[in-house]
Amino acid sequence: MRRITLRSWKTVALVVVAATGLAVWTTGSLAASRANVVKVAIMTDCKGAFAFGYDLDIGGAQAAFAQYAGGKAKNKNKPSAGMTGIHVGGTQVKIVGYGCGNDTVPLAVSETKRLMEQLKADVMVGPLSGDEAVYVANYAKSHPTKTFIIGTAGSQDPTMQIAPKNMFRYHGDGAQWNAGAGAIAYNVLGWRKAAIIEDDYSFGWTSAAGFIADFCASGGQIVKRVFPPLNTTDYAPFVRQLPAPSQVDGVFSTVGGTGTAAFIKAYEQAFGKIDPKKYLGNLFSSFLGADKVVGPKLVGSYVGGFGTAAGLKTPQADAYRKKLLAIYPKLPTDDGFVYNYYNAAWGLVQGLTKSHGALGAKLDAAMPRSIKPGFQVSSGGVLKLDSRRQAIQDQYQLQLVKNPDGSVGPIVVAFVPNVDQSFGGLFKPTDPPPGRTQPPCVKAKTPWQGKIHVVKNGKITSQILK
Amino acid sequence: MNPSTWTGKQQLERGVAAAAMVLVIVWPATGFSSYWTHAILIETFFFGIAAASLILLSAYGGMVSLGQTALAGIAGVIIGNLATKGGPGGTSKGLHLGWDPTLALVLAIVLTTAIGLIGGAVAARSAGIYFLMITLTYSVIANLTLGSVTKISGFSGIGDVNRYTPGWIGNILAHPNRLYYVALVTAVGVYALIRYVVRTPFGIALQGIRDEPVRMASLGYNVPLHRTLAFGFCAFIASLSGILYVWWSGQVAPGNVDLPQTINLLVMAVIGGLVRIEGAWIGAFAFTVMNTYITPNTHVPLLGFGGTLFGGSFNTIIGIIFLTIVLVSPDGLLGIWGRLFQSGQLSRWTRGTPGAEPAG
Repeated sequence: MRRITLRSWKTVALVVVAATGLAVWTTGSLAASRANVVKVAIMTDCKGAFAFGYDLDIGGAQAAFAQYAGGKAKNKNKPSAGMTGIHVGGTQVKIVGYGCGNDTVPLAVSETKRLMEQLKADVMVGPLSGDEAVYVANYAKSHPTKTFIIGTAGSQDPTMQIAPKNMFRYHGDGAQWNAGAGAIAYNVLGWRKAAIIEDDYSFGWTSAAGFIADFCASGGQIVKRVFPPLNTTDYAPFVRQLPAPSQVDGVFSTVGGTGTAAFIKAYEQAFGKIDPKKYLGNLFSSFLGADKVVGPKLVGSYVGGFGTAAGLKTPQADAYRKKLLAIYPKLPTDDGFVYNYYNAAWGLVQGLTKSHGALGAKLDAAMPRSIKPGFQVSSGGVLKLDSRRQAIQDQYQLQLVKNPDGSVGPIVVAFVPNVDQSFGGLFKPTDPPPGRTQPPCVKAKTPWQGKIHVVKNGKITSQILK
Repeated sequence: MNPSTWTGKQQLERGVAAAAMVLVIVWPATGFSSYWTHAILIETFFFGIAAASLILLSAYGGMVSLGQTALAGIAGVIIGNLATKGGPGGTSKGLHLGWDPTLALVLAIVLTTAIGLIGGAVAARSAGIYFLMITLTYSVIANLTLGSVTKISGFSGIGDVNRYTPGWIGNILAHPNRLYYVALVTAVGVYALIRYVVRTPFGIALQGIRDEPVRMASLGYNVPLHRTLAFGFCAFIASLSGILYVWWSGQVAPGNVDLPQTINLLVMAVIGGLVRIEGAWIGAFAFTVMNTYITPNTHVPLLGFGGTLFGGSFNTIIGIIFLTIVLVSPDGLLGIWGRLFQSGQLSRWTRGTPGAEPAG
């Protein structure tokens, strides 16, 4: 038991110096920032149900940077290998990182903070999934000097209820993507009473909201709504809550990601083989690898869209495909993940061009309020943003068919012009966002009633869908 | 607390602690890295608080709880529902009642403590693996309830909570250093409070119950009551962690109280050392730094085996570190520190007598 000695205080001093040195060393590289470089982060998922979207998203965004800003892909077959040499005017654009979410909010929090605060990104292109976008919208509100362009997330809240001024979305939300699907169920399939099974999160609800609004606007009724949690593996308890096929005219499903196949399996075990005339899925029934397991069981059924038009033959669409394949030859051009991230990054390039590399409010003001994406046809092929910076976008409804080679894939059967996020006023910023009871089922008038065109062999006909 | 009676190890430890305190107090002013200030260190503070509640129960009560993450999350959900406002531009999930943030803060702490007392009362008569399982159940219940009851959360959780802080704290978004100091002061306060409580008659009795519950019962101590109160007290501490978390991240969701997050907190506590309260913050710091700098693109040399066997994912690396610590030093990093002294390797630095002293 001794007194404090000089030597022990030397030790303390040594520790303090070492800790300070370590801190300087660790943080020095982070603190260095170069002038005239715009730092962009691409936020997507690399885990969870949408992990397969990782390279599709990054590829879509980087294809636009390559096409319009001189970027050079490090590997043409693996977009996530990186991209260099991006310049907009005299401004260098650097992709500082790829976000790796898993469609849940907690990981979106840490990844967003990593990209925007640790790597100091000025602009985010992303995220991928509905709940993540709700978080990022709240984050955007509290970080007004940064700009956020949603990658391909389809929840309604980010640009309807939350709507921060520094957030942009150049594609439809989940409800917009399904505009026209309800009309098809009512008019073509003759449904009057439908049940609906929705993934219990922001995108599942928004996707279902589009169908409910459209179907009920035509005069249909929703007799039951069932909500399996995201990432459910056994859907039997939820399928059992649905009315038997004999009691309703059909079932609409927004069960997605890895759950789609599991849900279909449980449904068949409960009610036997699916009648394609009594089933209508959202994009999860035709995109995202659904062609292998889900597709063959649903041949003939109609499917909600993704804002893209597989096989659409227009000069604008062909030009888009050609540009994309020149950069990444293996990317599926007509996939919504690729297309939406491509348009988001393209919008950013246009904004930076106009702002001459200025960021923050100047970039927000310079971001284009209209672009010409590949699958837009209305208004001379020009897609406009509304006052909350949300796209008013042409939508395409699909049908699953068997191709001559035996594979199953979607073809476009209906064209719905200029679908706005509010569905002509049915959805409002003052209303709660889509949820278990939202929206209610009401007969109403949508702007596109009587204006849905039949699409045949990739060509939009003048025939109106009845 | 007379320095003349300190051993060499105590001298060194208190010197390091004092230096660390000085460093974290002046850190934001140094301007080295705002990310370290506003992410890594704040995370260390609030995760450390939650880990401290776990270590307190384990080291002084003999109860390893997996319910602390859930309790922290519950506090976050309560404040999220009560304090946020809805409508255009507001938050879009939860009840968004828009109450006074100070009232919401107090209610979040009180309600979480009450839930902790109830949970503690249910679990108090079990011990060991059974206690662990019961508290794990609490986490699962919290996760599934929050996910299923969309009125109060849903899987999306509640966002925007960091815009509704009490007036006496002010706008933490415009002044993030305030949150840093609030978290720091809370962490120091929690540490001091725990040090105080374990030396009160209640704390001493709790340690007696940890070692000899039957003998303590025969001496007239109400064993379940002591355990219940300890669990309630730790729920109070966990609630502080949860509130700091939602102010920092702005949101809370069922994913914050799921199984991986529950295990993460245990990993932090084990890395730091389950025997001493200080280990909570050391473990939280080590975990947060690893979590930040080990990304999917990190490839650790020699662990790849020419392929992707150890492709550098965070879970792989933290798993290896966790295993190593558990095998080499079951008392965590602080155990290694203690053993360095026992073996005399550090003693010559301080010219003190080698030897261990009581925990705490």
